[in-house]
Amino acid sequence: MATDDATQAQQLGGRNWMISGSRIWTIARGTLTQLIRMKTFYFLIAIAFLLVIVGNLNLQASAASQLSMIKKVSFGTMDLFAWLFAIVATAVLIPRDIEDRTLYTILSKPVLRIEYLLGKLVGVLLVIAIALIGMFIVFSLIIHARTVAFAGAELEYLKGAGKPAADIQLEVNAITSQGLRPALGIAVLAIFLKSAVVASVTIFLSTFASSSLFSIIIGMILYLVGNAREMAMSFWEYESDGSMAVALISKVFKILIPDYQLFSFAEGIVLGEKILPHLVWSMAGMSIFYAGFFIALALLVFYDKEF
Amino acid sequence: MSEAVPAVEIKNLTKVFPVSFRKENYVVAVDNLSFTVGAGEVYGLIGPNGSGKSTTMKVALGLMAPSSGSTKVFGVDSRDVRARNDIGFLPENPYFYKHLSGVETLKFYGKLCGMGGRELKDRIAELLDMVGLVDAKDRRLGGYSKGMLQRIGLAQALIQRPRLVILDEPTAGVDPVGSREIRDLVIKLKDDGISVFLCSHLLEQVQEVCDEVGIIFEGRMRREGNLDDLISIDEQTSLVLENASPDLMRKITELVEKEGGNTKIIEQGKPRTTLERLFLQIATNTKNAKSKD
Repeated sequence: MATDDATQAQQLGGRNWMISGSRIWTIARGTLTQLIRMKTFYFLIAIAFLLVIVGNLNLQASAASQLSMIKKVSFGTMDLFAWLFAIVATAVLIPRDIEDRTLYTILSKPVLRIEYLLGKLVGVLLVIAIALIGMFIVFSLIIHARTVAFAGAELEYLKGAGKPAADIQLEVNAITSQGLRPALGIAVLAIFLKSAVVASVTIFLSTFASSSLFSIIIGMILYLVGNAREMAMSFWEYESDGSMAVALISKVFKILIPDYQLFSFAEGIVLGEKILPHLVWSMAGMSIFYAGFFIALALLVFYDKEF
Repeated sequence: MSEAVPAVEIKNLTKVFPVSFRKENYVVAVDNLSFTVGAGEVYGLIGPNGSGKSTTMKVALGLMAPSSGSTKVFGVDSRDVRARNDIGFLPENPYFYKHLSGVETLKFYGKLCGMGGRELKDRIAELLDMVGLVDAKDRRLGGYSKGMLQRIGLAQALIQRPRLVILDEPTAGVDPVGSREIRDLVIKLKDDGISVFLCSHLLEQVQEVCDEVGIIFEGRMRREGNLDDLISIDEQTSLVLENASPDLMRKITELVEKEGGNTKIIEQGKPRTTLERLFLQIATNTKNAKSKD
C-alpha cells in the first residue's frame, strides 16, 4: 500500500519533472516587477535619458558630424546602461534572495534550480530589452527630427546659394546617410546580446559569491578584460615560447573570458558602415554559446548548493 | 490509502558541516536521527537553538542534502523536486518580496505550483479570508507587521493545498494574540487532515497543538512519543474540583490519610491560569466591550 502511495505521489508530481517554461516565466516576471520597483532602476534610466538629451544638444560642427556625434553619444549611453545594469542587477538578485530567505520559500515549491536561475536571467534581460527599446524609440524620434531639420536647412541654404541640383542632392544625401537607418536596430541587438552574456557571467559569479559587491567588482573586471582579451592574448602568444602549456592556457582563457570585442562592430554600424551578415550571425552564435556556457557553470555550482 | 505512507520519514539522518578544508574538522549538526510524521498528524520537534531542528527541516525540504541516511516525504525522496508538490513551508521570520502586495505574493507562489486562472483566484480569496488579510490584500508586504507577514507566509505555504505543512518557529516574534491565531490555524489544518511538522523552542505552544513530540538536543533524538504519554506522571493523579467546601476538602484529606501506604497528597491549592491566557482573556474582553460600544 505504501508503494502504491509513493507511486501516486510520483505520478502527481510527474508534471514537474521537466523544465517548465511557465515557472521560468513566473520568476522572470517577478524579477521584472522587482527591478522596475527598485529605485536604482529609475536612477539608471534617468542617467541614460539625461545622456541621450545631452547628446542632442547643438554642437559647433557640420550637420553630418552633429548627427554622427548624437548617434555615438546615444549608443554609447545605451551600451553603458545595458552592461552596467546587467552586472549590478544580476549581482544583487540572488544574494538578496538568499539573505532575505525568499529563496527558501521559492525552492520549497516544486521549482527546479535551473528554472530559478533562468527566471532571474530572463527577468534581468526583459528589463534591459524594455529599457533599450524605450531609449531607441526616443533616440529615433530625436535623430529623425534632427535629420529632417538639418536636411531642410541645408537644402534652403544651398538653393539660396544657387548650387546645382546634383550638388544639393549630394549634400542632402550626406546628411540623411547619418540619420535613422534600419541597420541601427542591429546595433541595438548587439548591445542587448552583449548584456545577455555579461548577465550570464554575473549569474555564475553570484552563485558562489559571498556578497553582491564581490560579483559586481569581478563582473566589471571580467568585462574590462573581455574587451581587451584579443589584444592581450595576441601579445602574450607573440611574446611566449609557443609551448603546449601556453597554447592550453590560452585556449582555457579564451573559453572562460568572453570576447566582448565581438560586439564592437555595432560602433561601425552607428558610424554608417555596412553590416556584414556573417558578423551578425557570429555575434548571435557566440552570445548563445557564452550565455549557455555560463548558465551551465552556474547550475553546476547552484545545483548542490545548501541553504 | 494515503494514511499508510508517512508524511515524513527520516531514517538515520546525519548531517555534517565541514569547518575547514581539513577532513577531520567538522561539526555534526544532526546525528543518526530517525522519526516519522504520520499522515494527518501534528508532530513537534523541540529543542534549544542550535540543536539541529532547522537543519533537519531543511533536509526534509531538499534545501540540504543528508551526509548519510534518508528523508522521504509521502514516499518520495526529499531531494526529488516532485516531493515539494505536497509540501507547504513557512520559514522562521519569513521575508517575502517586499515590493509585492499580499495578492501578488500568493499569485506568485501559486503560479510556481502550476496553478492559474479561476482556480488560483478563488484559492487566493479563500486563503486571504482564512488568515484574516482581506483588508490588507492590496498593500505591499513592506508595510506588513510581523504577525501579518507570518499569516501571509502561512497562506503561501497552503496555496497549492499541500498534504504536509512544515513550520519553522511559526510564532517566533509574534504577539500572544497573533500567536494564538496561528495555533488555531494549525489546529484547523489538523482537522482538515493536513499533516503538520513544526519546529519550536516554545514548549507550551507545542504542547497545545502536537500529537507527537520529539525532543532533540545536540543533534540527537533524546525522547520521542505521544505527547500525553510523554508528559503524564504515571504515579500521580490530579483531581480538580469546583466549589468544594472546606468540609469536603477535610473529608478528602482524611480519606487519603486513612488509605496509608505510599498514598499522600502532594499539592493542594487553587489552579493558576497562565500569564498568556490571562492576557488573551483581557484582550478579548476589551475587544468585545469596544464592539458593543
